[in-house]
Amino acid sequence: MALFAALQTTFLLVLLPLGTYQRKVLSEPRPLTPESLEVSINSTCQCLHLQWSIHSLPHHQELQMIFQIQISRITTSSVVWVGNYSTTVKENQILQWSWESELPLECATHFVRIRSVMDDARFPKPRSWSKWSSWEEVDAQDSLGHNALFVFPKDKLVEEGSSVTFCYVSRSNLNNVSCYLDGEQIHGEQLTPNVSTFHLSHVRYKRTTGTNIYCEMKQGRKLAGTVLYVSKVLEEPKNFSCETQDLKTLKCTWDPGSDTALTIQPSSNYTLFESFSQKKKVCEDRNWCSWQVTQDSQEMYNFTLMTENYLRKRSVNLVFKLTHRVRPMTPLNFILENINSRNATVTWKVRPIGNSTFQCQVELHHDGQVIQQNNVFIKVNGKYLLSEMEPDTHYLARVRCAYGNHFWKWSEWIDQKFTTLEAAPSVAPDVWRNVRSLPGGYDVTLFWKPLSKSHANGEILFYNIAVESLDKSSKFNLSIPAPHNDTKLTLNKYSYQIHVTANNSMGTSPASVIVIPGEPGHKEIEEERVKGTENRFSLSWEPQSRDAIGYVVEWCDHPQDPLCGLQWQKLGPNTTSTVISSDAFEQGVRYNFRIYEISPGWIASLLEKKTGYSQELPPSDNPQVTTSSLTSHSFTLNWKDYSTESQPGFIRGYNVYLKSKMEQCTSGFERITPSDDSAGCRHKIDNPEQKTFHVENLEPASSYEFFVTAYTSAGDGPNGTFTKVTTPDEYTRMLTHIVVPVILCILLITVLFYFQIQWMKEKCYPDIPDPYKSSVLSLIKSKENTHLTIMNLKDCIPDAIEVVNKPEGSRTQPLGTGKPLTETELTKPATYLYLLPTQENPSGSGPCICFENFTYNQAASDLGSSGHVPVPPSTPPSQLGLLYSPENLLKALEKYYTNSLGEIPAGETHLNYVSQLASPMPGDKDSLPTDPPVQAQCSEYKMQMAVPLGPASSPPSEDTSLSSTAILDQGEHYC
Amino acid sequence: MKVLAAGILSLLLVLHWKHGAGSPLPITPDNATCTTRHPCPSNLMTQIRNQLLQLNSSASALFIAYTAQGEPFPSNVDKLCGPNVTDFPTFHADGTEKDKLVDLYRIIAYLGASLGNITRDQKALNPKDQNLHSKLSSTADTMRGLLSNVLCRLCNKYHVSHVDVSYGPDTSGKDVFQKKKLGCQLLGKYKQVIAELVQAF
Repeated sequence: MALFAALQTTFLLVLLPLGTYQRKVLSEPRPLTPESLEVSINSTCQCLHLQWSIHSLPHHQELQMIFQIQISRITTSSVVWVGNYSTTVKENQILQWSWESELPLECATHFVRIRSVMDDARFPKPRSWSKWSSWEEVDAQDSLGHNALFVFPKDKLVEEGSSVTFCYVSRSNLNNVSCYLDGEQIHGEQLTPNVSTFHLSHVRYKRTTGTNIYCEMKQGRKLAGTVLYVSKVLEEPKNFSCETQDLKTLKCTWDPGSDTALTIQPSSNYTLFESFSQKKKVCEDRNWCSWQVTQDSQEMYNFTLMTENYLRKRSVNLVFKLTHRVRPMTPLNFILENINSRNATVTWKVRPIGNSTFQCQVELHHDGQVIQQNNVFIKVNGKYLLSEMEPDTHYLARVRCAYGNHFWKWSEWIDQKFTTLEAAPSVAPDVWRNVRSLPGGYDVTLFWKPLSKSHANGEILFYNIAVESLDKSSKFNLSIPAPHNDTKLTLNKYSYQIHVTANNSMGTSPASVIVIPGEPGHKEIEEERVKGTENRFSLSWEPQSRDAIGYVVEWCDHPQDPLCGLQWQKLGPNTTSTVISSDAFEQGVRYNFRIYEISPGWIASLLEKKTGYSQELPPSDNPQVTTSSLTSHSFTLNWKDYSTESQPGFIRGYNVYLKSKMEQCTSGFERITPSDDSAGCRHKIDNPEQKTFHVENLEPASSYEFFVTAYTSAGDGPNGTFTKVTTPDEYTRMLTHIVVPVILCILLITVLFYFQIQWMKEKCYPDIPDPYKSSVLSLIKSKENTHLTIMNLKDCIPDAIEVVNKPEGSRTQPLGTGKPLTETELTKPATYLYLLPTQENPSGSGPCICFENFTYNQAASDLGSSGHVPVPPSTPPSQLGLLYSPENLLKALEKYYTNSLGEIPAGETHLNYVSQLASPMPGDKDSLPTDPPVQAQCSEYKMQMAVPLGPASSPPSEDTSLSSTAILDQGEHYC
Repeated sequence: MKVLAAGILSLLLVLHWKHGAGSPLPITPDNATCTTRHPCPSNLMTQIRNQLLQLNSSASALFIAYTAQGEPFPSNVDKLCGPNVTDFPTFHADGTEKDKLVDLYRIIAYLGASLGNITRDQKALNPKDQNLHSKLSSTADTMRGLLSNVLCRLCNKYHVSHVDVSYGPDTSGKDVFQKKKLGCQLLGKYKQVIAELVQAF
């Protein structure tokens, strides 16, 4: 029994917990499936809006539940999003939830289902999900209308840098649709047979009016589009700060950043919220806002600046104590008083803030720079003395103040410009002179430099020149108005002391003294060369005397100009070197420097002369070279006219370039570039004064080219053309020197021989022997016939007289006419005087018959004639007169010269031999016989000469030479 | 919507300038008395013709200025801005002067209302395009004068004080691209019609 009781108790103990457990499990409510799920589309935000409810909540309590939502696209199986939504659910409560779709909802059908699970701590775990609700389909394409083409989403607003998806819905074939973004085609992906999507990543802001996105259907001329608005990202306000000027009003400022306004989105608005007072104010401006300080002495402020646009919200916070944010107003009544040449007083006021003091800062500006700065503490009225200023100088004084109890920020500046008063010039003008000797005096030109502003102490009105003779008591003054800086004085040959002072409205400067000595020294000083660097020359000199009070270096900035631009630099007595620099120095220009020593008596004496270039340049031109002394082995080059002084550098010498076909350079030359034949050889002349060069050791009959250029330290002169020289042949020279004299000698001998032969011929074997001189005659006389005599010349009637080498000025007269010859005719070297009447000379008074020279007529000689055909003495004059006509003349000729004519027909030969008169005797040259030719002796034989058969020219012919010819008609010939 | 309604209402009041404006008006009988709020000038037809000429001369420039608001408008004028406005009032060029004036009144009333919508839309969508705004305002001003003169003529000569008019679609609820497109279509139609009206008068 006891055992039974124990088993029963154990059984009960086991069953009791089991029963308790069973009760607890049963108390868990069964999963609650969401009901009445409704899904709608909000196109504006591209959101799916879900509504559902939970019925039969256990115990009519509020329960924490988790809803799991699944969203599919196109088909239920293609789930695009799964997520949980946790909320507290009441009995019969309509639950709402939204989901924003990346893809425009009009582009595809969407399906939604939902299930739930208890998430309440009062119910034990594990908890099971309810069943899914049925799929709820949402298709926006049903309500699109009847258009053929749509583009979604409409009027899309996104932030810069985000991504956005577009789609088009077509009612026809997709292949015919092209889409563009701002005119540029974009390519998408086909989502369904009639929908394609376009994904744009990291879109950029372009304009406030948005960007058109449109699609066009090639067929049907359909076009649909939408506008994409890209907003700049709303920035958090920067530099948010608040301050007060009077502890009554706060002014808060900030930097809003980029404006996000678009045509569909207004500029972001700004709102101030103060947490202690719980007050809020909407600001009218984008970057500042005023806040009225409460009268309840609120010390601490906690501001939140909020801003928002359609896409984003931003806010910044600021906590401060009011009295730590005081920035006083700009000071008032800023006045400058008691301004003189060195000092001025400034006064000002501040608006009081309670009993607080103010720290004020006074600044003095000159030429945009702060030259004085001082802090002063004031209550309301401020005052400060500005000192150590320069006369006649523009200044700007200004002042600002800060809250004295706690420094936060300075107020704005208040300023005023002013000018100090003038003072007398503080230094003597820097004076120099140029002295030019004149007969009995000097031309002295005084130059002075304008005083610097710091020394002038005001506007210089004039310069006073006081000239005092040191030799005799004379003195005069000149006043030169500013801004003149030179004047010319003509002085006698005395010593003068000149004082120059500058004057402004407040007084006179110290005087500058110069002494012009009566007798200038004439010391020959050698010019020394100096080398400049860029725009400076370093000069040094040797002091001449120990008591010099200073030195002056003088030069011209523009030495090539007539005005020269005289410059000078005054140096102290212990200075023996200086650097002269000037922006006017140019390269290639020679500058001459003169260094003067100033004696204690203010007399300047020339110490040294320097010359140099800031930078030497190569010569600007080359010498004009001439050649001389050309031989077969040498020639000489000369360029004596080349000026070395006008070059842009010191001429150091000359380079003579020589080119030839020979490989080796002649002695004295060096090949400059062996690989380049055109470069040739060079001879360097180191002496710039050597302006001639003898090129020797050349090859005869060779061609050489030379080119001479000057050089400076910067190099050779400009490139020029080579001049060609050809050396003569050696034999030619020999010929010139030997053969020519030989030929001349031969010619001389020939001439001598010729005259000798003539003489010998005349003497020994003349062409026409003189019968009187012949020994034959005596021989004949003695042996055969004593009656034989020599024909008397008087029996012969000459036909023509040849005048040979008739001297100019001699007078002659045509025979038969008596008509005097003209001067032109008289100057003829040889003239025939026709004795036979011709057409041109019809009035010939008498015939003259000559004889043919039978020496040239073989037939005549064969007749055994002695060569003399005497004219029949019986021929009457009247018969001779018939010869005037050509026919008669021809007949006469036929009669006497039958053989001759028969052997030399006129038509077959070109030459006729006509007889000529014998050369007149030397005694006939000066005076021709003026008697009628009838009286002349014509028995002499004439020499034969060849005459071309041409048209007869009227005698005397212009073409006749020493042996002129009387020419008859063609085919006819007369003696 | 309130703003939109107020805009339309004010536009219609401005267009008609008399009591009862804003509702379709029947043509009054010929023997009915007709009065105008303002004295009518004597050379009404000349003024009407000049105003038509003025509108015609500026229509092209207005159309070009409108289409200069980015692609696709400048290069797709034929697709976007074709004058295919379905409910546009008809014009019978072969009718009597009275009939033509009545048709003209209806057309100008339609165009005036549409131009008001375009002006409102463009001021919101293209606030910086002063060139377009000035051209739209100038055209609207001329249309108001023309409408007044046509009404005077109808009233004085033909004793017509009420004409039934219709208006184009309200664009206030449409998306931006659609607003631009509808405005372009209306201006294309206006350019075409105003040339026909000049020929008819």
